Amino acid sequence: MSRKALSLTIALAVVPALALTACGSGDGGQVGADAKQTLTVWGMGEEGARLQKVAEEFTKENPNITVKVTPVGWDVVHQKMVSAAAGGKLPDMAQMGSTMMGEFIALDTLEPVDEKVFDKNDFFPATWDGNVQDGTAYGVPWYADARGLYYRTDLAEKAGIDKAPTTWQEHRALAEAYQKNGAKWGTELQPGSTGAWQSWLPFLYSEGGELVDKDGKSALGSAEAVKAFDMWGGYFKDGLAKKNFVVGHDPVKSFGSGEAPTFMSGPWMVQNITDQQPQLEGKWKAAALPAGSKGSVSWVGGSSLVTFKDSEHKAAAEKFTAFLTTPETQAEWYAMAKSLPASKAAWDQPQLKEGGESLMVFKQSLDTAKEVPPLEKWSEIAALIEGALEKIAQGADPAAEAKKLQGSTEGLMAK
Amino acid sequence: MSTAATKAGDADRDSLPAAGPAPAGGPDRKAAGAGRTLRPDRLSRQNLAGWLYSTPFLVFFLTFMAFPIVATFAMSFTDFGLRNVTDPFAAQWVGLDNYTALADDEKFVKALFNTGYFVVLGVPLTIGSGLVAAVLLNSGIDRLRTFFRVGFYVPVVTAIVAVAVVWRFVLDPSEGLIAGLGAQLGFGTPDFLASEALAMPSLIAMAVWRNMGTAMVLFLAGLQSIPVEVREAAKLDGAGPFQEFRKITIPLLRPTMLYVAVMTSIGFLNVFEEPFVMTNGGPGDSTLTVSLHMYEEGFDFFHMGSASAMAYVLFTIVLAVTLLQLRLLKDKTR
Repeated sequence: MSRKALSLTIALAVVPALALTACGSGDGGQVGADAKQTLTVWGMGEEGARLQKVAEEFTKENPNITVKVTPVGWDVVHQKMVSAAAGGKLPDMAQMGSTMMGEFIALDTLEPVDEKVFDKNDFFPATWDGNVQDGTAYGVPWYADARGLYYRTDLAEKAGIDKAPTTWQEHRALAEAYQKNGAKWGTELQPGSTGAWQSWLPFLYSEGGELVDKDGKSALGSAEAVKAFDMWGGYFKDGLAKKNFVVGHDPVKSFGSGEAPTFMSGPWMVQNITDQQPQLEGKWKAAALPAGSKGSVSWVGGSSLVTFKDSEHKAAAEKFTAFLTTPETQAEWYAMAKSLPASKAAWDQPQLKEGGESLMVFKQSLDTAKEVPPLEKWSEIAALIEGALEKIAQGADPAAEAKKLQGSTEGLMAK
Repeated sequence: MSTAATKAGDADRDSLPAAGPAPAGGPDRKAAGAGRTLRPDRLSRQNLAGWLYSTPFLVFFLTFMAFPIVATFAMSFTDFGLRNVTDPFAAQWVGLDNYTALADDEKFVKALFNTGYFVVLGVPLTIGSGLVAAVLLNSGIDRLRTFFRVGFYVPVVTAIVAVAVVWRFVLDPSEGLIAGLGAQLGFGTPDFLASEALAMPSLIAMAVWRNMGTAMVLFLAGLQSIPVEVREAAKLDGAGPFQEFRKITIPLLRPTMLYVAVMTSIGFLNVFEEPFVMTNGGPGDSTLTVSLHMYEEGFDFFHMGSASAMAYVLFTIVLAVTLLQLRLLKDKTR
């Protein structure tokens, strides 16, 4: 009996492995671009739902290729993709969030980009560099999420400030002025929990700091990092930002009520504020991120388009990727989804040229923005940074935390 | 109660397999059955049918229960990580390293402490409030009984995400229910979920609210199975309501109590949903539980080896607590 159970266990363990090797057989069964075929694509959240429409346009031009888009929720996408990779059930193509690139490159599931077809100079540097490891690009940038600074102009005027802060010192002065004039908090900064690193990265980058240094070692204990932790922590130390984070907190609400009249976020917030706080019309602006000693450097998130190694439709996938990254489609996509085009030429299209003042702010940021490098263990590193940030917000010494972080991330930075 | 009958039935059933292979010339009353089992062709066909009927369950059980249990156990001795997702056999055997590393893992120790805190406070409160609600519902207020029964049970069947929305509203420091009441009555309210000291008690309150309905329904069933004659006899002997509760209700509820205690403890030791949706383990790991830490290690970081080791440590604790309860609460008079 026990022997039977054992052999069954072994059989069950071996079957998926066999299935995997079968799938990994590579280029054997490639389908040409002209053959009739169905291309399966995973898109995330809202984008997934909208992508189907764009895909239909593509099919009009290429009647032999039917595109089937499956929308996957952002909250489950990571797990779903990893389990699909484990089970050999990945689609032909997918939209991939920038911070997941490292993991999937490490898993050896992504097909390198043909750089004869896609030219890196067509895209904003940070959007391209986030997909590159050891000189090979594994994804084509699709859209970019640079961060900007949102602030209430009406409350700033009341406090005697009539222009956007251009440096972190001015940003602090603005926060102090807000608070003196009745705002509960001077600014909104996420003090911990998932995603807190996003509120800190602009401080690091604008001081010229990096996550990984040139030799591939952790740079989280560097002098620049300590300075960034110190600047970030200062807002909490002086009571300008709330020390405790509550899951589900929405900065747009406290922005609308004037409780915290400034925050950093991506371009999608323009729409969110317009929709959720219509009474604010004309009372707020988006500005470029304040500059540190090395300039105003935003960090870029966003998504790339990747083709999976096991796909038999690589030619069709390349065609669809090319279609999605033409300036025309990118501009249309902006009009539809309000995601910023990663292609530089798209910004000359009318939809973007006439997109208004706040849009230009993000365009400028894209030119100087930096990416999160593709690191296999990024989620772990991010969690460690978040832990350190939480302690600093509570009053821990930034230099000591940076040193600890340097130690704990040392073994994790390998690409 | 029909204990006697079931006991007899059990005994009868137990004796059957033994009597089956008895020689054909055995006692008359078994002759028919024995004759059938002795014919080998019939035997295999009957066996085959049995196996066929149970195959769907067996396949399900082996694939989704037995295999993962065995696989996680094996995995807990390896360094199974993200890369092994696509190449499982490249994982290295590390012996007990994952287990010994847990002792040095500050977060795990904290998570163990938090889980203990949750259980020690949450289980008695759940059992207590469930029992009180059941006793109240069982006596008097006949008309409103259904109303209350449903009312107390609704939290049990409500999706956790909906529950989280409601509780966030209750606990919100600026626009929440408690804060609103506090403002009316003139006292300030703390930011429950953002305070290291108050976050866990808030989650315990939520879990007790969510789980007392189950305890209540079970206790109600137990209460209703206590024969009226016993209560009447006690009354005739001069027992007041309190004495009746202590001397009749409590002892006769013992089996129910054991069941509720064991099930609630297992559920609370595995606590995951409340901290996951409400605090994500924060602030400062103050609501990080073993299950949540395990989830983070396993599915965020893909440290499957150490997550599996945590699973087995938690399993051992659950087993120990359950055995202890069985020992302490089991009715020794039977």
